[in-house]
Amino acid sequence: MSTLLEVRDLSVRFGQTTAVDGISFDLEKGASLGIVGESGSGKSVTCRALMRLLPPAAKISGSALYDGADLLQMPLPQLNQIRGKRIAMIFQSPASHLDPLMRIGDQVAETLRKHTQMRGQEIRDEVLRLLDVVRIPDPARWARAYPHQLSGGMKQRAMIAGALACQPDLLLADEPTTALDATVQKSVLDLLAQLRREQNLSMIFVSHDLGAVARVCDDLLVMRRSKLMESGPVSRVIDAPQHDYTRKLIASHPDRLTLRPVAEASTGAPLIEGQGLRIRYGGRSLADLIAGREGGFVAVQNADLAVRPGETVGIVGESGSGKSTLARSLVGLVKPQRGTVCFDGTPADPTGKGRVAYLREVQLIYQHPYEALSPRMTVARAIAEPLRRHRLCPPREVKDKVADLMEQVGIPTKLADRYPGQLSGGECQRVAIARALAFDPKVLIADEVTSALDVTLQAQVMDLLLKLQKDRGLTMIFISHDLGVIRRLCNSVIVMRQGQIVESGPTGAVFDNPREAYTRQLIDAIPHLHAGAA
Amino acid sequence: MNTLRFIAFRLLQAIPVLLGVSIITFILMAATPGDPVRLLVGDRASPETIALVRDRYGLDDPILFQYFTYVKNLIVGDLGASLRYRVPVSQLIAQHYPVTLFLVIYTIVLTLPPVVFLAVWSAKRQNGPADQVIRMLGVLGLAVPVFWLALLFARFFGVTLGWFPVSGFGETVPDHFMHLFLPALSTAIWVVPILVRTLRSALLDEMNRDYVLTGHSKGLGERQIFRTHVFPNSVLPTLNLFAVIVAYLLGGSVIVETVYAVPGMGKLMVDSILARDYFVVQGATLVFALTTILVMLAVDLLSALIDPRVAP
Repeated sequence: MSTLLEVRDLSVRFGQTTAVDGISFDLEKGASLGIVGESGSGKSVTCRALMRLLPPAAKISGSALYDGADLLQMPLPQLNQIRGKRIAMIFQSPASHLDPLMRIGDQVAETLRKHTQMRGQEIRDEVLRLLDVVRIPDPARWARAYPHQLSGGMKQRAMIAGALACQPDLLLADEPTTALDATVQKSVLDLLAQLRREQNLSMIFVSHDLGAVARVCDDLLVMRRSKLMESGPVSRVIDAPQHDYTRKLIASHPDRLTLRPVAEASTGAPLIEGQGLRIRYGGRSLADLIAGREGGFVAVQNADLAVRPGETVGIVGESGSGKSTLARSLVGLVKPQRGTVCFDGTPADPTGKGRVAYLREVQLIYQHPYEALSPRMTVARAIAEPLRRHRLCPPREVKDKVADLMEQVGIPTKLADRYPGQLSGGECQRVAIARALAFDPKVLIADEVTSALDVTLQAQVMDLLLKLQKDRGLTMIFISHDLGVIRRLCNSVIVMRQGQIVESGPTGAVFDNPREAYTRQLIDAIPHLHAGAA
Repeated sequence: MNTLRFIAFRLLQAIPVLLGVSIITFILMAATPGDPVRLLVGDRASPETIALVRDRYGLDDPILFQYFTYVKNLIVGDLGASLRYRVPVSQLIAQHYPVTLFLVIYTIVLTLPPVVFLAVWSAKRQNGPADQVIRMLGVLGLAVPVFWLALLFARFFGVTLGWFPVSGFGETVPDHFMHLFLPALSTAIWVVPILVRTLRSALLDEMNRDYVLTGHSKGLGERQIFRTHVFPNSVLPTLNLFAVIVAYLLGGSVIVETVYAVPGMGKLMVDSILARDYFVVQGATLVFALTTILVMLAVDLLSALIDPRVAP
């Protein structure tokens, strides 16, 4: 096999900061290389530097020989002959990387118009063929659709179709499955693996998910803090990691994670209970009224859930299944149209009277830690806010209480005066957890708290939650689209789909013996770490 | 079919709006000091004459009764008659409306090319010298009051240089273009900077979008990405502001038409208010309101045409 791409001493600097520091690797024709690392490790920048897709502020040095020509030095018109034609790229969030005003078919055709002699009907036929290759059903119909009419998975497929249009030699995939649900993620990965085999496509696959990389790639680069840590065949790296960081990365994967055992749930009466909850967004407009339609959008239908003291209940489902909405109704952020919420055996009204007292017992932690904290409030002030506002302790003791809470969630004291913008995602999430714990709640609802975090941080936060639950006897509702996480953390699980609860029961029973085909599908999609899957 | 239903529904919504507009103008006119009959018959008329005229126009009925009579006539399409000219209001409007419409469209035609050119120019050279000059000129254009600029233009181009007529509307179409050039220009100078600023910031926003990166990764080249992706996406926010400005131009015609003595709706409106010509003011206001509603509707339809996410 011949070498397709030869990268030597690739460095990228943004002003004072070095984003990529002297990376070298070779890519054989038809090979597939995975680059893993946490956010900020420079893996995406490496990928984009090869195509010179970085903002003008980036200073790139080193060389990247492709077919004997240096991608980093060649003039732009020459590079534009390679971009899209010989080297194509797909991105993390297909939603924002497609032009919202242009039909899918036209966006796929763009590359053909630019790089081939095809015109008119020929292009239309080729577009339909490409959409069929990426397994978009009914290509003729979806070619005429606009991006917002497609689901996330379909959008990513359309992106792939556009990238494959000119039969490139090399596909750069920059976290192509990160923004997708587990089931969709699996199907896109399968598609990429299949395309590799059938079209002899070389690929560089960037991801923070070792499981995803193992599914598609033969070779692996592990990056950390802009440096190359380790490289080698996937199976070798996973089975016999040589670097400490790689070992940590592998150990953090939900599949390999060793967590403290989940606390046994009591068998008493439910602590928090929702009965027949139905939640609707959007009111009836005048037009709906005249047409006799109900209007709006039903996010949750007739959901029942009961959580016993000390129990951890997981709610899973893909995006849009209503799981977050259900959680929000339990803390009164949305008002259910029908149904009741009971706390400790008595009916509670999370949106109305008694809201303040109720919220002291039931607290929600949000998905995006940066957005959940005020950017103008220091860590200490953010944690102290509920203590002061609810007068939970005498003003003199606030400071000690804050220090105590920070210790419990493992935030170093020196971070007390920092602003959220100066913290990492994991640290921010800890602050958000400490703020929720300031109330000394009985119930903690965690809404996708680990989704925005890297695997290593994810493992730490999960461990923290388990520890807190054990120490404080917390009751938890844990919402996630990641069944791998739920399995490690929860006593029982609720599976939601399109606003309805399709299955629920003890975690073991649901995982070993799913009753619904949909649950089975979700379980099959859990990314596993077996070496050399490709 | 959906579009037709949307249009029908929006026109239906216009009815309560127009009703509200008519109530407010009616009350305002009734509350304004001054008596139309006094102005009509002159200072030396006898009390008997005044009473006679008052009775004939129904002006001694209770105000509520007067309003309902007015609305009743409105439903059958009768806008009433001018107290001053003694011709139907509809005839007056038919005379004056095309002039204002001509002026507004002329202003838009003078506005759009420089807006697109200047916005693209300054967005492509963000914070460069050209961008700074365009910004400064824009502030200047916004800061100078329209009526003052109109007076200066009339003095300089009309009187000193004698290039353009300083008043009136002219007889033939080329005449119209000559007569309305200065009024349209002085309005455009105020409108252009606003639209340039919005379009420029929209262009800059869109130039940093992810789909631009996709375009680069396809090897499309700067120019093609700008033309096919960035520009269409940037037009949308500007379009909505444009609708508001067109509505404003209709109202703003009062100023330039007065300065340049253009016989349009604005001038008719001002003269009628001064003469307490109730029905003309009423009719003109309703026509202004209806035009605004139609402009908004047209822009909404246009947005839906450009942006598939906006369902009409």
